[in-house]
Amino acid sequence: MNAPDRYERFVVPEGTKKVSYERDTKIINAASFTIEREDHTVGNILRMQLHKDPNVLFAGYKLPHPLQYKILVRVHTTSQSSPMQAYNQAINDLDKELNHLKRVFEGEMTKHPREY
Amino acid sequence: MEGVSYQRFPKVKIRELKDDYLKFELRETDASMANALRRVMLAEVPTIAIDLVEIEGNSSVLNDEFLAHRLGLIPLTSDRAMVMRFSRDCDACDGDGQCEFCSVEFHLHVRCDSDQTLDVTSHDLVSSDPSVVPVDVQRADSVGYDTSEQRGIIIVKLRRGQELRLRAIARKGIGKDHAKWSPAATVTFMYEPEIHINEDMMETLSLEEKREWIESSPTKVFGLDPNTQQVIVIDAEAYTYDDEVIKKADSMGKSGLVEIYAKEDSFIFTVESTGAIKASQLFINAIEVLKQKLDAVRLSEDTEEADDQFGELGAHMRGG
Repeated sequence: MNAPDRYERFVVPEGTKKVSYERDTKIINAASFTIEREDHTVGNILRMQLHKDPNVLFAGYKLPHPLQYKILVRVHTTSQSSPMQAYNQAINDLDKELNHLKRVFEGEMTKHPREY
Repeated sequence: MEGVSYQRFPKVKIRELKDDYLKFELRETDASMANALRRVMLAEVPTIAIDLVEIEGNSSVLNDEFLAHRLGLIPLTSDRAMVMRFSRDCDACDGDGQCEFCSVEFHLHVRCDSDQTLDVTSHDLVSSDPSVVPVDVQRADSVGYDTSEQRGIIIVKLRRGQELRLRAIARKGIGKDHAKWSPAATVTFMYEPEIHINEDMMETLSLEEKREWIESSPTKVFGLDPNTQQVIVIDAEAYTYDDEVIKKADSMGKSGLVEIYAKEDSFIFTVESTGAIKASQLFINAIEVLKQKLDAVRLSEDTEEADDQFGELGAHMRGG
């Protein structure tokens, strides 16, 4: 009767930002991103991609509670970069990786004989 | 710093490609990417399924909500799903099923007038859109099948005088909302194992000991070469990372007889589809959906600007 609607798990409520950014008040070049309505799928690939960046000193994500449909991504970089720059870079690189993956998969499909 | 990229270039090798089954190798990426693709295939690639049922008449033995649930679980061919709208995002209608952009209407009217029980099946559903129909596995590969044997998915059975009449609306949805929208029956990936046998140590074993050691593996990973009587790897991928052969070697006093590693950047995927989408298309759609998700988590411009101002202000304050 009082069950929350199922779509609440993946529809961002009106008036809420998908991604919000908060700088760390004490540490320079550290910040956390709050991503609404996302989970391990995005959190983990982002974290691992951030780890590839040598300017990233720390990158981690957490799903604070299974019934709070958001993740927190925390990034700490060197002074050569900034959390925002590293974050954008990670997304761009993942996007390019997926474009590449799609291309090679479709290429493989055309040369693979269909079996029945 | 612009222009620096830490992008990877994964490699793919397809091993088996069927309409409802796909097996391939994915290399030169990491487990987070493999797992993200698996998760998206299971829960976030859209399909079409019956979501609203209006029962006009039901004198069958099953109650209305039971039937509605069963109808929802019937897989529908969903090649259109990627370009359809979610009915909650559709501005052309109010989700009442009269809209071609977000819904497909089905009708079903069956009455039993004979003494024999009548099966009501997915074939009795009449679709308003020829591209969205119940999945028919037998029809899909009907070569060699007797056409009279084709039966579809049974919804309910009727006896004499019973009748079922309903209108159903199918909508686009994702597995996260309800499992009936999941296009995947199973998606798995495993690390590719790398097995090294210490040949010198292996030769210190008697034939009987070799056989005993080979038998200790619950799956058929190792075997004996019939000519040389050497222990060989028959099927590395049958290994389930159970460590049984390693424990056996230890208990025989032959620690280090075999070394097995999981290659951390190499995965073997299997994808089984419900038939709603072809397995290969399911993987392509998963890549597309994941790209859309990543695009949605990009920082909005006003967030970046707000920080720039803050940054300048901060620089001023630090400088002054």
